[in-house]
Parts: sequence; structure tokens; C-alpha cells
Amino acid sequence: MSNLKRSNNNTKVEFSIENDPFINFRDKSPSRWILAHILNGSNKTNICIVLITTIIAAMLSSTLMIIVGETINDLLLGKESALLINILLILIIGIGAPLMRIGNFMLREVIAQRIERDTRKEFYLNLLGKSQSFHDQQKIGDLMARTTNDVRMLNYLISPALSLIIESFTSLIIPLGYIVIFYPPELVIIPLIFIFTFIVALRDYIKKIGPITEKLRGDFGEMNIVLNESISGITLIKSTVQEAREKHKYLMTIKGYRDAFVEQGKVQAKYVPILLLALMNTVSLAHAIILFLNNSMTIGQIIGYLGLLSEFRFPTFISFFVFAIIKLAGAGAKRLLELMNKKTEIDENLEGESRKIIGNIEFENVSFYYPGFKNRVLQNISFKIKQGQTLAIVGTTGSGKTTLTKLITRLYDVSEGRILIDNIDIRKYILKSLRSQVSYIEQDVFLFSNSIIDNISFGKKASFEEVRNAAILAQAHDFISSLPKSYDSEIGERGIQLSGGERQRIALARAFLVNPRILILDDSTSAIDSKTEDEIQKAINKIEENRTTIIITHRLSQIRWADLIIVLKSGKVVAQGTHEYLIENSPEYRKIFIKKFDLEEDKLITRSGRK
Amino acid sequence: MAFIGLDAEKYDRKYNDIDLFKRIYKYFRIYKRKIMIVVLLLTIASLIESFLPILITLALNSLQTGLNTQYLVTIIIISLFFNASSFIINYFQQINISKAIGNVILDIRKEANDSILEHDLSFFDKNPSGKIVSRINTDSQEFGRALELFMEVLSSVFIVIFYTFIMFFLNLFLSLIFMIMIPAFFIVAILFMKAARRRTLLGQRATASVNAFVKETYSGIQIAKTFSQEKKLFNRFDQVNQQSYKVNLKRAFLLNTIFPSLGFIQAFVLTLIIYFGGISFFEGSIPIGSLNLFIQGSWLLTFPIFSIASFWPQLQAGLASAERIFSLIDTNPKVIQIDNIKPKNFKGKIEFKDLTFEYEDNKKVFENFSLSIEPGESIAIVGHTGAGKSSLANLITRFYEFQSGDILVDGLSIRKYDLSEYRKKIGIISQTPFLWGDTIENNIRYCCKNASETDILDSLEKTGGSEWIDDLPNGLETNIRERGTLLSMGQRQLIVLARVLLENPSILILDEATASIDPFTETKIQEALEKVIKNRTSIIIAHRLSTIRHVDRIVVLKKGKIVEEGNHQFLMSKGGLYAKLYNTYFRHQSYEYLEKIKELK
Repeated sequence: MSNLKRSNNNTKVEFSIENDPFINFRDKSPSRWILAHILNGSNKTNICIVLITTIIAAMLSSTLMIIVGETINDLLLGKESALLINILLILIIGIGAPLMRIGNFMLREVIAQRIERDTRKEFYLNLLGKSQSFHDQQKIGDLMARTTNDVRMLNYLISPALSLIIESFTSLIIPLGYIVIFYPPELVIIPLIFIFTFIVALRDYIKKIGPITEKLRGDFGEMNIVLNESISGITLIKSTVQEAREKHKYLMTIKGYRDAFVEQGKVQAKYVPILLLALMNTVSLAHAIILFLNNSMTIGQIIGYLGLLSEFRFPTFISFFVFAIIKLAGAGAKRLLELMNKKTEIDENLEGESRKIIGNIEFENVSFYYPGFKNRVLQNISFKIKQGQTLAIVGTTGSGKTTLTKLITRLYDVSEGRILIDNIDIRKYILKSLRSQVSYIEQDVFLFSNSIIDNISFGKKASFEEVRNAAILAQAHDFISSLPKSYDSEIGERGIQLSGGERQRIALARAFLVNPRILILDDSTSAIDSKTEDEIQKAINKIEENRTTIIITHRLSQIRWADLIIVLKSGKVVAQGTHEYLIENSPEYRKIFIKKFDLEEDKLITRSGRK
Repeated sequence: MAFIGLDAEKYDRKYNDIDLFKRIYKYFRIYKRKIMIVVLLLTIASLIESFLPILITLALNSLQTGLNTQYLVTIIIISLFFNASSFIINYFQQINISKAIGNVILDIRKEANDSILEHDLSFFDKNPSGKIVSRINTDSQEFGRALELFMEVLSSVFIVIFYTFIMFFLNLFLSLIFMIMIPAFFIVAILFMKAARRRTLLGQRATASVNAFVKETYSGIQIAKTFSQEKKLFNRFDQVNQQSYKVNLKRAFLLNTIFPSLGFIQAFVLTLIIYFGGISFFEGSIPIGSLNLFIQGSWLLTFPIFSIASFWPQLQAGLASAERIFSLIDTNPKVIQIDNIKPKNFKGKIEFKDLTFEYEDNKKVFENFSLSIEPGESIAIVGHTGAGKSSLANLITRFYEFQSGDILVDGLSIRKYDLSEYRKKIGIISQTPFLWGDTIENNIRYCCKNASETDILDSLEKTGGSEWIDDLPNGLETNIRERGTLLSMGQRQLIVLARVLLENPSILILDEATASIDPFTETKIQEALEKVIKNRTSIIIAHRLSTIRHVDRIVVLKKGKIVEEGNHQFLMSKGGLYAKLYNTYFRHQSYEYLEKIKELK
């Protein structure tokens, strides 16, 4: 299996599952990839049955026409006795054809829905395996559009689009065959001419409608973006009195859409195949009448013949929209593959180190820049902390503090230099092993809209007792218990709203439960009331015990007692050391404090530092 | 079947059908001429379509009875002529119809968008943005399709009427047999539509729960990574995805049996027609060509009859869409101006007089609240969460309407000003800074289109320098992505501050962000503010307490009431609520606290 995986050059993933049958098709063309999905697993049998039932259904329909024609002939010949048999046949065949179709439709739906399910699964799995720097560049709206609409288009591609094409094809070919077999063969000429011109006209139509459909879709997307943005910025719009501008912006996009819509109507109105079909019907009738006059045809046969030609109505009318679907599905598949094939930098590294981490961290000349950007976000960072120590990072907005911490869990990889944990380059660890021993609590704590208990136990399956203990350690138990549904309270839009401090403590509980050797805390919430403040302090103190902690904070109380403080400015370490040392020696560091203490008349930390 | 995380959205019809039709008619009335043309063309096209089979009937009858070549040639020529004209008629019909629909959709979208932008903020509190967007963009499309549907059914009605008329003319008995098809189709259509709607709803819900799940996990991907829990997410995804598969497959199964079912009815009718037609033929009461017209009818009329039968249920879906948009448009704005006095420049006196305000019924934020702010005075509003601090800002800016009392600016009720002119004179920095997915330059320039680059750099300079912008990939030209996500919180605030400085308002309202900012940026913002609030009336809603020592007056709110006011020194020495708040907030920076924190367990 491992060999199979490596055979594809895009397989660097952070997460994968054992069984991925499409891995070798993703770097092929979209149609090849779709085909792989169509032919996957038990679909093959289904496809055979679909094909056979389609053909049988078309044959039954054509047979019905012939029999109707023969019945008319029998009437004209005065064969009264044949009537009952004839109508019995008509009834049986008339019911047989839709019966076939029911079976046919069911199976093609199974194939279609399966493709939707499987491609979505493939896509989702693939995105889970992409690195954080990949995800940073994605807009959620765009990812959603791909996961929902594009994937659904592949469903529509099978049913109705491809199924209808097969059906159209059989309802063109089979009547033709019947004409040749049952009627004077020259009758096939005019239908053949029709089919030929039909295909030419259809191609022309598709060429014209394609770009318009594309534009419509693009415009619709644009409409959503503009509207969404102006709703998000409504306060700003109102306070700066820019309603007119926003109205105008939206009006421009919907006008674009309207123009494309009218254009589409124009092209559709010129759908020539309908004219061709009508002309063919008349000319064929004339042709059949001529044959009748030459005594090579009966009236019943003319009726049967016209009946067979009426089968052409179906392909003529449905080709109209079928090709639009195919086009959309093709574009959808391309968009799915485009993302899935985007290279990502970080690998699961399944063969790597999985030892237990003690907690010594060393940065060796680490530099980092985002792929595609020249500016270095971090430059030549070096520092060392021992197990169990606490490192505080301070610095201005945008100085690279958060980026620095994200390098440790390999959300991004260093561009230059290296990071060692217990003297081993972090890139040598199995990714899962590294991440499960290093916890990261982000600045804007993300909670799933699940129950509190689910959120706390997100990192590890745990009993209720364990969850409760973790919550107690994180000072979250009290406020959780005060909620009406306690630990089962749902968080989010449909549930309770938590304050920043409460969210942070839930995140801390989540970390307590995993009990990582290294904890990174991007701490930026400020609590106004003293109770919350104390609780957060308590929780942070608790979690710093017995583990290496890296904390980004402006809480002086945290900075003050850190074993090492590094001061970042524009991606560089401008000073590092303990509080006492920095107060004496770093003007940068002093600047933070002196400003603060202007406010406090008498209780200056600066003094406490010199104590 | 239980769905993971999604129940049906409750939706009550508020409008009755007649009102709805009247209202929809208003939109289409503008394009009355186009629509009349379409209806006319459509009638002709339907006549031709019903008439063409008669030509074949005539031809066949003449073949049966005796030969008249010229007669046959005429029939063929007429038929060719009809077919060609039918195409041309159809062409004009289509073009007119898409113009009418395109414009109706445009009109309703414009109207809806215009109206929501005029709504006050209480509207946006009630309607999440996803709902508004889908109503304006998607429901409008459905609404436009109602016309298409209507035309389609009109054409079907014409065809069915013309064709049955011909049939009745040819043979009464067979026509009656043929008529069985109509009620049978109706029954099938109604039965299926009912079941289909239910299944479709279930299908949509299942799809929606997949979407909701996926959306959330994309947002939280970093958490999954840092905890190595991708497998967990994947398994849950697999579950909802599989559920959606099952439900949607069931739905598809049902929908796919509709047409075969019609096929059964068709087969029965055809059998009956041929049987009784055959007998009539032997009796000599019907010529062969006419019998053929009945046989053809069983195929030709299938779709027209079905589209009539399914019209009503389909229309209901369209009406629901229309109603969703109308209810958006019809929401009554609560903020209403009673005059449109255009202020020149405000001196900046603000008075709250006996103000009563509530967001929701019976949850009063203010009751008999009074406060007077002098021109040029800077005041800070301080208090616990829920004391009503931000509500003050929301009221002065007229984002929300108050229930009683009054707010006066320069001695005149703010209800009397022209809203646009009024708001232009007031600068507000809201708690969560909003930025466009655009360049920094354009974000700063948002209020004032004509500002030069120097103006922009100037206002940035006033926020304490723009060196940090030079560190960005393209400086001022850097696109900061959706909502400014490329920047940190502190940076976003600096941009917003620069924007307001460029606007240079007479009254400034600053609703501080609650998330704290690194000490360096914090200092910068403070210094900038000190300059900004000089010589203009400023209200600072202070959440962080670090910005307010230099204001003229501090107002301490508690549950919508003023409990203390005065400057910093005065309030500190008083030792009341302010002193308590202040000490709490800065306690973690005080020496005693630092020592104590070590023992805090």
C-alpha cells in the first residue's frame, strides 16, 4: 500500500486513511478521474444493467410503433379477429417500456448518488490532509461551494446528463434500425440527414451557450460575495453613509447577471435542432407518401414510420440542457482536482520518530517566510528552554509572535534553520506523535457547535469524570455547572454564547485532558472582573506546572515570572532574558512597562523588578 | 429519521394567495407589453402545434379514400410553412420572455437590496446574513421562474384545449375515452408532488447538515490539526455524508417513478383508443386518419397535461419564494426620521433626556436616562458588561430606535436631522472593526472617495506611524483579505482609526474592542487617541480602561443608570465603583498581585 501511495507525486498529506482507490487518478484529466469514480466497485454491474435496460426500453418503444402501424393495417384489411390480439400486445409492450425505465432510473440514481457521496468524501479527506498554510489561503465560502455544488454537479452528470445521452443515443439508433428492418430501407435517408445536421447544429449551439453559462455562474458568485460583504460591513456602511455606493456596487453585478441571462435566452431561442426536427417530420411524411403512391408502403406503415420518428423528439429537446450540465460538471471536477492536487509541504512522516517528549525546546537560527512572499516573517531566531520552563513572548502587533509558535506544532515548517525538541529536529517526528504531545491554544479559541463535553474531550476520548476533572483544573467547572444543561449545553449559534474568558478556559480544559508535554498558549483575552481574572490566572498557573509552556501574553503577571522572555520586533529577537535582566538592559522591554506604569501612581513593576 | 444537527426551519405563510398574486403582478406589470406579445405569440404557436396533426390526418384520410396529388402537395407545403413560422414565433417568444424575466429578477433584487441597506441594525440582529443572501439572490430566481412556469402552463392549456376541440369534432365517443387521461394524470401528479415535496425537504435537510458540518470543520481545521483529531472529524463526516446519500437516494427513487407511472396510464389509454377506435372503424364511423389523430394525441398531450396537473404544486414553491423576499422587503424600519434638517457642522453638544430604550420587549436597557455632554468635551463611559455602554453608541448613531425621551445634538432632536448628513458628521469606531477584502489604501479611503494618497498617509501617521505597513508584502497596496484576516487585531484597529481620522467627524464615538492588544500597539492607539479627541466631542466606550485617563469626564454606568461621574483622580479618591473596576483591571499589573499570583492555585 505504501508503494502505491508514493507512486503519486502529490501525496504529501498530513492525514490519510488506508483505502483511497482514486489516488492515482487525481493527477490525470478530470474526465479520467470521473471515469474512475464511475467504474468504481459494484458500479460496473449497475452500468451494464443500465445500458441493457435502456436499449430494451428503446426497443420496446419502437416495437410499439411498428405494432400500432400493423394494427392499422389489419384494420384497413378488415381483420376484425386480429384486433384483440393486437391491443393485448400494445398493452403489454406499453407497460413493459415504463417498467424497464423504472429499473433503469433506480440504478442510475444509485450510481449518481454514490458518486456524489464518494467524491465529497475524497475531497473532504484530501482537505483534512492539507497543511495549515494551505488552509490559511482558502476562503471558507469557496471551499464550501466546491464541497457542495461542484460535487453535486458530478451527481447530475450521471443522472440526468450521461443517462440521458445514452437514452438519446439509443432513441436515435434503434428507430433507425427498425426502419431499415421493417420498412423500405430508403426511408432511412431523411432521418439520417436529420441526425447529421442535428449534430452539427448542436455543436454550434454548445459552442455559443458555453461561455454564457459560465458567465452566469461567475456573476452569481460575484453577487453572493458583494451582498455578503455589504451585510457584514453594515455598521461601517451606515456610519460612513455609503449605502448608495453599496447599492450601486450590487446593482452593477445584478445587471451583469441580467445581461447574461437575456443573452442566454437569445441563444436558446435560436436552438435550430427543433426546426430541423419539424422539417424532417414533414419531409419524411412526403417521402412516405411518395413510396405509398409507388405501392411500396401501406398506410399502417406510414403511421408506424411517423411513430418511430417521433422517438427523435426526446433527444432533440433534452440535448438542450444536458450539455450545460456536462460542462458544469467538467468545470466542477476541474475545480475539485485543482485543490486536491495543490501541493502541500508537510507529510504525515509515518516512518518517523515517535518517542515520548520530555520538553526541551531549541530554536536554531530559524527563519520563516510564507510561500510566495519574500518578506521574512521571522529572522534568525535562536533560543533555548528546558523542560518544565515557561517562555513568554512579547512584541508588537505583527512582530511574528503567533507565527513563531505555530512553527512548533508544524502548522508551518521553518524556511531556514531548525527547531529541536529533545535534541531531535521536529521534522523527524511522526506528525501525529508530535502534535499529540504539543498542545496549542489559539488566540481566538475555536469551539465546535457541540456540547461542552464534546468540546473538552475533542482531543481525547474521556469519561465524564475525566472531563470534569479537567474542567475543574481549568477553573471552568463552576461556570459550566451554572449553565442550565451543565456539560451538555450546546455552544454556538443555536446554543449558548460564551465570553472570551470562558472560551479560553474550555480550551484550557481541553488541553488538560490531553496532558501534553509542551503547551503553547496564545493568550490575549482580558477580563474585566477580578473573579474571572483570578480564575484564568489560576488555570494558567496550574497548566504551567510540570510542562514546558510557551505563552504569548500581555499579562504582566505572566511575563514577570517566566523563566525566559523574548522580545520580538519585526520578526527579530531584539532581547531575551529574565524580567530582571531585561528591565536593566533592554530599552525595548522597558518601553512596554514604563507606559503602563505611567498610569499607576505608586505601584510600579519597574521597582518590583529591581527589588 | 433523526438528523444530525438540523431541524426544519419554521416557516409560516403570512400572505394569502390573492395578495401575493396581486403583488407579483405589480412586478410583471412593468413589462406588460412584452408579456402581452409573448401571450399572443404563444397562442398562435399552440394553434399551429395542434393544427399540424390535422394535416397528417387529412393526408392519411385522402390516402385511404382516393388520391389527389395536388391536395397532398398543398398539405405538405402548408406543413412546411407552419413548421418554419412556428420556429420564428418561438424565437420571438423566447427572447421577449427572457427579457421580461431577466428584468423582473433584476428589479426585485435591486428593491430587496435597497431595502435591506436601509434597515436599522435590529433587522440584522434577527436575520443572519446567509438567510438574507439566499433570499435576495436565490429566491428571486425562483420568483422569475414563476413567469416561465406560467407561460408554459398557458401554452399547455391552449394546446390541450385546441386538440380536444378537434378530437370532439372528429369523434365524441373516442374523445370521452381519451379524457380519462386528464383526471388520471392529475391524481398521479398530486400524489407524487406531495410525497416528493416531503422527500425533497428531507433531502435538503440532510444536505444542509452535511454542509453545516463541513463548514464548521473547515473553520476549525487548525484545532483538528493541533490535536491530531482528523480521524475523528472524518468519521463524523462519513456518517453525515452517508446519511445524506441514503435520504437523497430515496428522494431520487421517488422522483424517478413519476414519468414511468404516466407511461402506464398512457399505455392504458392507447389500448382503449385503439380497441374502441378499431371497432368504430369497422362500423365505418371514423376514417383511419382521424383514428391516428387520437393515437398521436396519447403521446402529444402527455407533457401538456402533466404540466397543467403539476402547475399548482410547482407554483406554490414559487409563491413561497416570493413570500420570503416580500417579508424581507416589508420589514418595517424602526428608525424613522421625522424631518430632514441638514446640519452644517456640529458644535457637538449632546443631551440624553429621559431616555428609555430596549432591544427586546420588556428588557429595558435605559429608563429615564439623562446625560449632557458639552461641545468639545471628551467623556468615557465605563461599567460592567451589560451596563448599556455600547447601547449609547448605537443610539447616537441611530442604528437603533429608542422608545421614549429624546437625544438632542446641538439642541435638536436627532430624529429631525437628515440621516445621511447627520451620520457623516459622526465618526464611529465599532467594537469589531470591519475591513473589506481590499487594499489597505482603499480601506482607509472608504469614507472619502476623493482623498489623496497624502491624506491617507497623513491619517496613518496620526495613528502613530506606518512603518509596520512597510513590512507587509505590498505596503499600502497589500490586499488584506476577507475582513482583514491578514492583519492582527491591533493592526486592524489602527486601520480603522486611520479611516475615521480621514473622515474628520465633529463627534467621535469609539467603542473599544474587548480583546486586548499588545502593549506596544496599545500605547500607539492611546497616543493617537489623545490627539484625536482634542477639540471635538468624543465618547469613548471603554472596555479596557487603559485609554481613559486623559478624558475630561468619566461616566460610570450600572444597569443603565449613571452611578458616578467625574475625572480619574476624583473617582479614584472617591473609592466607588470606578475605583473598584480600575483596580481590578490593572491589578494584574500591580506589584502585590504579581507576588500573590505565585501562590494562586
